[in-house]
This record gives sequence, C-alpha cells and structure tokens, in this order.
Amino acid sequence: MLTLQRLIADLSAFWEGEGCLIEQPYDMPVGAGTMHPATFLRVLGSQPWRCAYVQPSRRPADGRYGENPFRLGKHLQLQVVLKPSPEDAQETYLRSLETLGITLADHDVRFEEDNWESPTLGAWGVGWQVLMDGMEITQFTYFQQAGGIDLSPISAEITYGLERIAMFLSHVNSVYDVMWSETLSYGQVRREEEREMSRYHFEFADAGLASSLLDGYEREARTALAAGLVLPAYEATLACSHQFNVLDARGAVSATDRVGLIRRVRDLACACARAYVAERETARTEAVPEPAAV
Amino acid sequence: MNRRDFVLEIRTEEIPAAALGAARRDLGDRVRDGLTEAGLAAEAVATYATPRRLVVIARGIPERQEDVFSEVLGPPAAAAFDAQGRPTRAAEGFARAQKVDVGDLVVVESPRGPTVSARRVVPGREAAAVLTEVVPRAVGSLSFPKTMRWGNGGASFVRPVRGVLALFGEDVVPLQIHGRPATDRTTGHRVLSDGELEIRSPQEYFEKLRAAWVEPDGETRRTAILESARRLAREVDGSIESDSDLVATLADLVEWPGLVRGSFDAEFLELPEEISTTAMRTHQKYLPIRGKGGLLPHFIAVMDNRDDRKGLIAKGNEWVLNARLADARFFLGEDLKVRLEDRLPDLARLSFQDRLGDYRRKTERLQVLAETVAIAVERPDLVETVRVAARLCKTDLTTHMVKEFTDLQGVVGGIYARREGYPDSVWKAIYDHYRPTSNADEPPRDAASAILSIADRFDSVAGFFLLGLVPSGSKDPYGLRRAAFGIVSIVTGRQWRYDWSAVARQALALHAGTGGASPEDALRALEAFFAERVRNLLERRGHAYDEISAVLNVGAWDFADTADRAAALASARRETGFRSLVLAFKRIRNIVEGEHPDAPSGDLYREDAERALAADFLQARRAIEQLARGRRYGEAMATIASIAPSLDRFFVEVLVNAPDEELRRNRLALLAAIQKEFSRLADFSEMVVEK
Repeated sequence: MLTLQRLIADLSAFWEGEGCLIEQPYDMPVGAGTMHPATFLRVLGSQPWRCAYVQPSRRPADGRYGENPFRLGKHLQLQVVLKPSPEDAQETYLRSLETLGITLADHDVRFEEDNWESPTLGAWGVGWQVLMDGMEITQFTYFQQAGGIDLSPISAEITYGLERIAMFLSHVNSVYDVMWSETLSYGQVRREEEREMSRYHFEFADAGLASSLLDGYEREARTALAAGLVLPAYEATLACSHQFNVLDARGAVSATDRVGLIRRVRDLACACARAYVAERETARTEAVPEPAAV
Repeated sequence: MNRRDFVLEIRTEEIPAAALGAARRDLGDRVRDGLTEAGLAAEAVATYATPRRLVVIARGIPERQEDVFSEVLGPPAAAAFDAQGRPTRAAEGFARAQKVDVGDLVVVESPRGPTVSARRVVPGREAAAVLTEVVPRAVGSLSFPKTMRWGNGGASFVRPVRGVLALFGEDVVPLQIHGRPATDRTTGHRVLSDGELEIRSPQEYFEKLRAAWVEPDGETRRTAILESARRLAREVDGSIESDSDLVATLADLVEWPGLVRGSFDAEFLELPEEISTTAMRTHQKYLPIRGKGGLLPHFIAVMDNRDDRKGLIAKGNEWVLNARLADARFFLGEDLKVRLEDRLPDLARLSFQDRLGDYRRKTERLQVLAETVAIAVERPDLVETVRVAARLCKTDLTTHMVKEFTDLQGVVGGIYARREGYPDSVWKAIYDHYRPTSNADEPPRDAASAILSIADRFDSVAGFFLLGLVPSGSKDPYGLRRAAFGIVSIVTGRQWRYDWSAVARQALALHAGTGGASPEDALRALEAFFAERVRNLLERRGHAYDEISAVLNVGAWDFADTADRAAALASARRETGFRSLVLAFKRIRNIVEGEHPDAPSGDLYREDAERALAADFLQARRAIEQLARGRRYGEAMATIASIAPSLDRFFVEVLVNAPDEELRRNRLALLAAIQKEFSRLADFSEMVVEK
C-alpha cells in the first residue's frame, strides 16, 4: 500500500543516493520550503550545495476547516536543491519518480512552463510545473535571483507536493483519505489540526497582536543585522512573513497595506541575503565541503 | 557547384509552447539570411520544432563560396616604375598593402591614365567553415520573452541547451552553441526511446527521429491531434469545437501526440458550462466534447505518449478533472452563500492600483461614468440598468470562483446575478463587460454591457494616464492599448457618435485627488493615445496611411465619425477632380502658412475668376454644411471636389501676391476661408497624389 510516510522515505533515500544532505524541516512557521535557510541562503554565493528535506508549509489563508478535499492550511513539501544545477537535473528527477514505482512509459509526463516568483523574498526563477497525467505534482525551478541578488551558479529547486502525489498515486478523492501509515489516514493525523487552525486564523487570531508582532520582529531583524547576526535576522524575517500571512487570513490586510507590508518583508529578506553573501565572501568562515558526487 | 543539405538541431529542456513558434521561425530566418549574406544561399530552408528541439534544414547549400576576383587601383604607372621600368618604393608599398607580389602588379588604363593595379583572386571559403560562424551568430541573435541561466555557465537562452547536432551532408560541422560542440548524435523521446541516435545525413534525420517517437514537424502533430480528436469524439456521438489556439498549443507541448478520451461524473454537467469548459480548456488543456443536447461528460486529453496501454493516463486525467470540478462545485456552493450586493464592502480589500485605490472606489466611479456613457450614446432608458450592473460588476472578484478561474471574471458575476434573479439586462451587462478581451475577441453583445465596458475602460485608462503609467514601446504592462482599442472598436461597431473627450474629461475628474499629471495634460496625452488606436482600427479596415492622417488631423475624439469620414475619403479619392483638389489644397496650405487673414470681403474682388470662386465656395459651403449634418460624407466630399475647377482657374488667372496689400490680404482671406471650411471633414492637404 502506498503511504505518505513511505513516499517521504523513498524520495529521501533517492536524493540521499544522489549526494544530497538530508536536512530537517525548519522549526519555524514558513509559507514554503524555499524559505528554509537551506534553500534561501544556500543558493546565494558560489559554494556548491545539495540537500533535500521535507518542509511543512503554512498558508493560513488556504485553510478550509478540514472540509475541502484539496485545500490545506498546512501542507508538506519535499524540497530538493541542486547547486549548481546539473546537466541531468530533469532526468534525475524522473528517475526519482521511478523509485516510487511509477513506470514512466505508462504515464504522460510533461514539463509545462511555470515561472516562479516570491515578491516577499525578492526571488524568482524560471521553470515548469511537472504534470503527470494532467496532475501537477512538482514545481521545477532554475533559481535566477534570491534576495534581490543575481545568482551564480544557478541552483535547481525541485519541490514535490507530497499530498498531491500521494492522492494521485492512491487515487483517492480527498486528501484526508490518503494513508499516512499502514493504519492511520491523513485525516486521522491532521484533520482536527486543520479545523482548529482554520477557526483560529479566520475567527480568533488577534490582528492587533499579529500587527505589533510584525513590527517587533522587523525591529528585531534590523537589530540583528546591525550586529552582523545574519541567521537571527533571517529568522525574524520569517516571523514577519508568518505574521503577515496571519493578518491576511484574518482579512486584516487592506489593498494599500498589502503592497507596503510585502515591501517591508522583502527589504528584510534582501538585507539578510546581502549580509549573508558579504559574510561568506569576507570571512570565508567554515567553507562547506562539496557533498560527494555520485 | 556541388551542393549539400545542412541539418541543425538544438536540443533543450522544454521550451514554453508560447515561445516555440517564434523561436523556430526566427532561427530559420536568421540562418537563411546568414547563409545568403555569406554568398551561400540555400535552395530551401525549412524549420521544425518540438518542446525539446529547434530544427533547421537548409537544402542545397553550395559546398563553398565562389572565388572573388578583386582589383584595386594604385599609383599612376609613371610613379610606380622608374625610367628603367623598375618598381619604385610607391609600387612596393602598394603591393605590400594589397598583399600581392610586386612582380604581379599590372598596368591598366584608367580615367587617370595608365595606373598600377593589384589583381587578386580571393578564394571562396568552405561552407562548413562559414556555418561555424553563421549558425552560432543566428542562435545568439534570437530574442525571447524571457531568458534564463543555468548551472555554472554564463550562457543565457530560453531554456538550458543540452545538445547540438549539425551535419553538412555527412560531415559534422564543428560549430559550438552555448559552449556545446555539435555532434552527429541526438536523442529520441524522453520515455519512449532509449539511448542516443546516430544521424548519418540530413536525409536520415526525420526517419530516425520518427522511429524514436519524435515527430519534429509541429504541423503534422497538429493535424494528427485534430484528426484523432474528431474520431474520438465521434465514438461517443459528439464533436469537438474548433479551438485552433488550444490545438496549436497542445501540438507544441508534446513530441509524440497521443490522445485519450476520458469521462467525468455526469453530475458535474449541472455546473454552469462556462465553468466546466474553462476547467477543461484553460486549466487542463482538454478538448470538451459536445453532443446534440449540449456538453457531454467526456473530454479529450493530449498526452506525450504513443498510447495508454494500461489505461492509467485516462484514469489519471479523469481523476484530476473530477477533482477540479468538485472543487468548482465547492466554490459555487460557498460563493452562493454571499449575495453579490453583500460583497461590496470586501471590494475595499482588493487593490485596483496602489495609487488609484481599491475596487470599491473603482465601483463608485464606474456607477457615475456608466451613467454618463449611457446618456452620451442616447440610451437614457439604460441608465438604471447600467447603474445596477456597474455597482455589482466587480464583486465577483471577491468570489472563490474568480480567484480560481481568473479568466471568468465578469462571466461569474453574470452567472451569479442571474441566479440571484436580476433582470436579463443586468446580468448580461455584467457577464460581458470585460469584452473584448483581446483585439480578436468579440465586443459585448448587449448595449448595456457595451456601455459598462466603455466606462470601465475609460476609468482605467484615465487613471493610469494621470499617474504617468503610460505604455511605451513594446511595454504596456496594464494593457491600456488593448483597453482603449476596445472602446474604439465597440463605439465604431455600434456607430455611437459622440465626442468622447467629454467622457475622458469626466473620467479624469473622477480620479481627482490622485495626484500626478494635471487633467489638461492627461487629456492631451489621451487624445494622441486614442488617435493612435483609431489609426490601428482604420489600418485594420484597410485604409491607406494618408487617408488616416487626413481624417485624424481634424480630430479623432468622435471615433465612429472619424471612421465614417475615412470611408468617405477612401471613395472620394477615386473620383475625378480629387487630385486637382488635393494639389490646390496643398498650394493653399503653403500660401496661407503663417498668415492670419480676416474674413474675405466681397467689395475687394477684382477678377472674374476670383468672384466665381467666391460664389462657388459660398454655394458649396451651404450644401456641405447640410450634407455633413446628415453625415452624408461621401456627397459632402464630392461637393468639395466640385470646386476644384474654380480653384484651378483662380490660380491660373489671379495673382495672389497682388501689389496692392489690401487685395493681397483679401485673396489670402478667401483661400484661408476655403481651407478652413472644407477641411472640417478631412485635411485634404495630407493626401498623397501624383504631382
């Protein structure tokens, strides 16, 4: 039987075999796997880097009280970063599908244009959504810019939508019917969480608090940056981004506010990126050895 | 001269379907031009493309360039050779500069007398060597809507280049593209074919690729898709609608087009058809199937595969579509819980443009402007309808459905308004008010919808012009050209005669407090902007450049009227007498330029020709005024042309620059009056005629 945990284990083993460091999820609320420092910061600068990890991604506004069969306020992404992007990135990705027991010749696999952009991170890339039999299962992106900085070398970012793939492979009509393990369904593990988080974000979250937290974390990020503490500054930036998402879900972001709020978070992300690159280039601290090529 | 065929294949990762056609054509053109410029014109150049390869086949390229004989004249023979016939320093210097042996210099006769000449044969180069320069230059000159970098390289292209094949006859051409040396190898279909293919000659290329499940010819793929789709639809007693854009896109998304037919749950047929077909067409790129009684619960999907041997592909696509439709049904259920009217406050959270405010403010402006437009087009009976429609027309932007199906903005609002029981005139006005969505799209079907569409567009264009966010060059990020062209085409299509500057002025006034340009400056900019749109429309209708300029010179703000005047002018120019009229007007323009005469006085006419012209002018003017009031522009222009003989006679018999200043000024005044009065329909002096 296909289970979500088997899917994660198989993909992780595959990418480990491709020389990836298996990172752990970042222990803060983030909206996407890209925001994990293992992607956002590591794609900057010239150091080679290969890693893979699962990242629970929170998007409070997408929550549906556990009632919509496809939409979740929190979903799982399996994120792979290959820097520099190898010649055979697409082929390697396709082999990863085969390790899941998919015989490619029995399916229709297509790479259709879908360029990715994150205004809050000052990041964009060029690539595709990967469709299998009409279903989007992966976002495949060549990162061109992050934190407002042109990247060189270029990283390939592969983001598997784990719930989607699991639903698709087990042909169930609701994400809550996906089996997480042999005995427990996704619904049994997560449905109550979706209900509660939706109620909280849509009905109870204190917008005033979220707003002042955003202000506070913004100051904190500036303080940390001034002290040359890049990672703490970046964590404060992630906290700002999450508070922005909370405000948005609560319906507390007006049209005019939105532009300004996004700009504030982007400014921080860009400042962190610049500080990270500067730190790497001047101090040359703890150069990361290149992961063994396979 | 021996000739050979050349095949070039650039293998890439998947090129977006939207960029593929232009990339293929441009590459072919540049290779062809490069070869021609190098004196190696091919007999025929054909281009092909799949998402993963750009292919150029140039047939019959000469194997080498022609030798070129060159002769350069040098110093006079007398200076080049001394008395003993020995070459001088001048001769030696010239020979050195021309890279010939001094002994090979010859003396030829030239207009300067006997002159030294260096004759040389520049041998033609091998075509293969020329190709190594021409092809990379052609590839480098391609432009794409968006390019990218990859890996460690500095190369920039539409997608990463993964391989190059280049054969001239049976030989590999040693060229490089983005650091990749050409070989005689390629690959077949991504999953249906294994390993490399060795191509030994251009002739073999198609054969081997097709055997490896790649159809390089997009036209063949397109035809195959259409034929199979029709057959699959017939099997369920249905047919596909012609949707050439979608079929062309599908052909550019696959290397080997296979088709499957799938089904969706019949219960989803209850969804509004606009929604289910958009889910199929736009979201999933499926072809819906229609039967006699309407939509059938089947669809056709194109796959990049030769078949669906286990049925998994059909099953997967069915699952996806059912999920999408279930999603749509969920949205519909949720959306119908909140009436459109109750969504108005939510519009305040939706930004129209940073400085132009939110959609609630846009809605308020729209209600005022739509009413103005209804009055302008003499439909006071529609004022109430458009006021209600304007109030509700943007509320669907807050629905789940439009967030998911953005193409259906307006349509969704219309459908919901219908369900809420609004009158036909109202929901239809909402439904169509974004039309025409492109220069090829149909205008709104109902007058109320057309009024709303015009008001909406004037509001947007006026706001962005106030902020100075105007289109420039190829950049039009807010789609203002399309918006303005929509107004012009709706108005001319409906023959709504009106001086639209009044609406533009009100649209600007409704944005008061926005800051930016002064309304006067913005209005001037808008006038020029709309005149350009009218020009586009008239060009599409086949009008000549001079006709368009002639009518635009006398004002463009009444778009429908301008179009009528252009039509009248186009037929008038075929009449006899028109040519001499134009020449006379050009002459008048030159004569009265810079002069500011008063009205002519009958007491000062001295010559017969002068009196005759004045009499004809007065008579024609009355007739023309009447004709113009009745918008009988063809007849009006014919009447104008009827004074050409009197004008001609005037210029022959009357001296405009009379010695008597009073007479001179009076003659100028007569001509100026004619020019002024008769140029109200068109500036005839702009017309191009034979001298």
